[in-house]
Amino acid sequence: MSRSIRVRVMAVAVAGALIMAACSSSSSSSGGGGGKSLLIARDMDVNSLDPSRAYCDTCQIYMTAVYETLIGLDKDNTTLVPRLATKWESNADQTEFTFHLDPKAKFADGSPVTSKDVKFSWERLGGLAGAASYLVSTIKSIDTPDDLTVKVGMSTANSAFLAQVNASYLGIVNSKVAAAQGATADAKTDKAEPWFLANSAGSGPFVLESYTSGSELRLKRNDKYWGAKVNFPEVVMKETKDAVTQRQQLESGAVDISMQISNDVAKGITSKDVSVHPVPSFNYVYLALSPGAKGGEKLTPKVRQAIRLALDYKGLIDATVGGAGLPQASPIPNGFAGSDGLPAPAQDLTKAKQLLSDEGVSGLTLDATFPTLNVYGVDFSTAMQKVQTDLKAVGITLQLNPVEISVWADKIGKDGIPVTMLYFAPDHTDSSQYVQYFGLLKASQWQTWAKTDVSQSETDLLTKAFGSQDATARAAIYKQLGQAMIDDQVIIPVVNPNLFLASRSDIKGLYYSACCNLVLAQLSRG
Amino acid sequence: MPLLLFGIASIVFVVSRLTPADPLVSIVGERNLTNPGIVAAAKARWGLDRSVVVQYFNYMKNLLHGDMGTSFSTRRPVLSDLADRLPATLELTFAALALGVVVGMTLGVLAARRRNKLTDHVSRFFALIGSSLPAFWAGLLLLYIFYAKLGWLPGPGRFDPRGTPPSKITGFFTLDALLHGDLGAFKESVMHLVLPASVLGWGVVGIVTRLVRASLLDEFSMEYVRVARAMGLHERTVVNTHALRNALLPTITIVAFAFAFLITGAVLTETVFSWPGVGSYAVDASRKLDFPAIIGVTILGGVAFLVTNLISDIAYAFADPRIRLS
Repeated sequence: MSRSIRVRVMAVAVAGALIMAACSSSSSSSGGGGGKSLLIARDMDVNSLDPSRAYCDTCQIYMTAVYETLIGLDKDNTTLVPRLATKWESNADQTEFTFHLDPKAKFADGSPVTSKDVKFSWERLGGLAGAASYLVSTIKSIDTPDDLTVKVGMSTANSAFLAQVNASYLGIVNSKVAAAQGATADAKTDKAEPWFLANSAGSGPFVLESYTSGSELRLKRNDKYWGAKVNFPEVVMKETKDAVTQRQQLESGAVDISMQISNDVAKGITSKDVSVHPVPSFNYVYLALSPGAKGGEKLTPKVRQAIRLALDYKGLIDATVGGAGLPQASPIPNGFAGSDGLPAPAQDLTKAKQLLSDEGVSGLTLDATFPTLNVYGVDFSTAMQKVQTDLKAVGITLQLNPVEISVWADKIGKDGIPVTMLYFAPDHTDSSQYVQYFGLLKASQWQTWAKTDVSQSETDLLTKAFGSQDATARAAIYKQLGQAMIDDQVIIPVVNPNLFLASRSDIKGLYYSACCNLVLAQLSRG
Repeated sequence: MPLLLFGIASIVFVVSRLTPADPLVSIVGERNLTNPGIVAAAKARWGLDRSVVVQYFNYMKNLLHGDMGTSFSTRRPVLSDLADRLPATLELTFAALALGVVVGMTLGVLAARRRNKLTDHVSRFFALIGSSLPAFWAGLLLLYIFYAKLGWLPGPGRFDPRGTPPSKITGFFTLDALLHGDLGAFKESVMHLVLPASVLGWGVVGIVTRLVRASLLDEFSMEYVRVARAMGLHERTVVNTHALRNALLPTITIVAFAFAFLITGAVLTETVFSWPGVGSYAVDASRKLDFPAIIGVTILGGVAFLVTNLISDIAYAFADPRIRLS
């Protein structure tokens, strides 16, 4: 056989094989949408799957599914319900909390959940000083008088502790399994993170099946789960960065759920097999004014108030999320204790100009460096352009400078930034987190970045709230704190966007959870 | 080669450290940037509490031992990340290259043979679009048409989200499916390759078409082609057997470099198509200022250029006996 004939025969053989392959049906792929797994399209932001180091939106979903907390949160996003603990109590001054564990609670390997596991988990969370460790920063001691009792002592009164215990990051790890993999409470000796990226050791309804960074997070049902059996044998989160692609996958049936589509993208959904439910969220985007930043010297209280009054809030919501959102009065978001009854922000150009005139400010130019983010459907560039237009009407010029968040972080940490934009989503259900972050308390995030004086009244009010056992009294204090933060004129929330829960129509039980984002155990198909 | 790689690593290390940016934001989140305990722990863990000089020498010492460090964002050794993701990128790159070369050469030959006729103009226009269209735009457009609207081709990713990919042997899904004898999985993998490979390979089509056309037109004016035609050889034989072989020499060089560019240029295509390869890894690394991952990807890119350069030299020798003999 000549060379050319050999080549032609081979080519025909290869082509034949390819055609046969193309014409045959798949044996390993189930194809279409007939599988029983639940598929979720997500732009995954996983920083770790180690329960003591994880800190991200996807981590909240993962932690809730795999590592149970002592206390759960009901669907009303307010009521704390038993989970690993059947009951709990605190002393009058909120410095000691006692939890009674459910004797039926078991880890995925069948071993019982004990007080030693709770102690190990929380001490490791604090000891490794990961991003979520601030949630246990007030813990002074953890005593385990017996296998089912945990006594936690606080260094200061902390009425928010029960809400913090409900945060998904305080999930309980099987201490024996974790310790065998090198888990310790000391960052210098702990070696367990690589193991946690491929395995899990929780008591939740799911266990980690596999994780491939940039590709997928695969969970499988915990067959030894001690609670009610979950509906899906497997849940797969597929990495899908683009919201439009998430919509396309949802409409084609390739995935079952997408929670990261914006209003514009949601409007484009035409498939009758897809349900879209806009729900109010606790997330928001805010403008921050830093009088202590380099170039922010003229941001006096009156000038900051003028900026607040110059903004067209409805226009901002329309421009960023097509009207699918709400204005928000203070850094405490709508729906949290202390948010009711505060005055909604409103535009008043006349008063804004008057304030600027009183202050002798004209032709003010401010640096507005901001991170190029798109969160909760809000594109920061669009939002800042609208802010720029609004402020132009009162004679303030913003020099917009969009940068990557790492560049932004470097700048705000050094010189500060006079006008910028950022976002916030809750870690738990207590309003104290907003005061600790946005209030002008000593060394709080925004007291540091805005380089302002410390507010003693806010410090005192928060101390009072932490010492109060009564929810109504605490709500009243948080309302005062909300008003105080409005008066600070440092943080100006601009949009509280709706969240679009988009799913195939046969998916039931989908709701937005304040602590946990998406509760996989509640979902079913039918 | 080692010296060159050392140079690449050093330059990227210095440039990334001189960038006025804070990598801690991707490690602890912006919410903890002023928490001294959390920041100190993160700096200590990732060696960011040491001087840049110490960090540099530590990095180079580890690199000499084959350790590229641990990624801030994936928390895994960079070498493992690259090893896991490289097959996906190579599979996409090979597919794009094959598509680009086959279509590009066909169009180039057609354009040369029908110079200044409609076929020539259409081929050149198609090539021009391929060279000009931004990959992300072309990707979204093709996804919209062929996936969302027509439903002819699958969406993003390497495999049906509801299916199970072939278990890993080489990391190339197509090859692994064949090795497992699973033709269904092979078909699925091929179908998922079509759109991203088309987007990525379109640029190569543009380059190859123009180059083959220009080279063939040069060859057509040579004596040996006129002699061949005068001897009454069939035009297909004249072009395919004689002229094209000589016209291929510059194309080999370009194709070799195109391969290296495709590997490094898969960044946008992989992002649009949720392709878990080195390109999407590079995007995440640069956005998060993940120093070890950035340097790892850059070294890989450098290796790709060096290796493809070497391969192009070898291929040149095979294609041109004069080079072999000299």
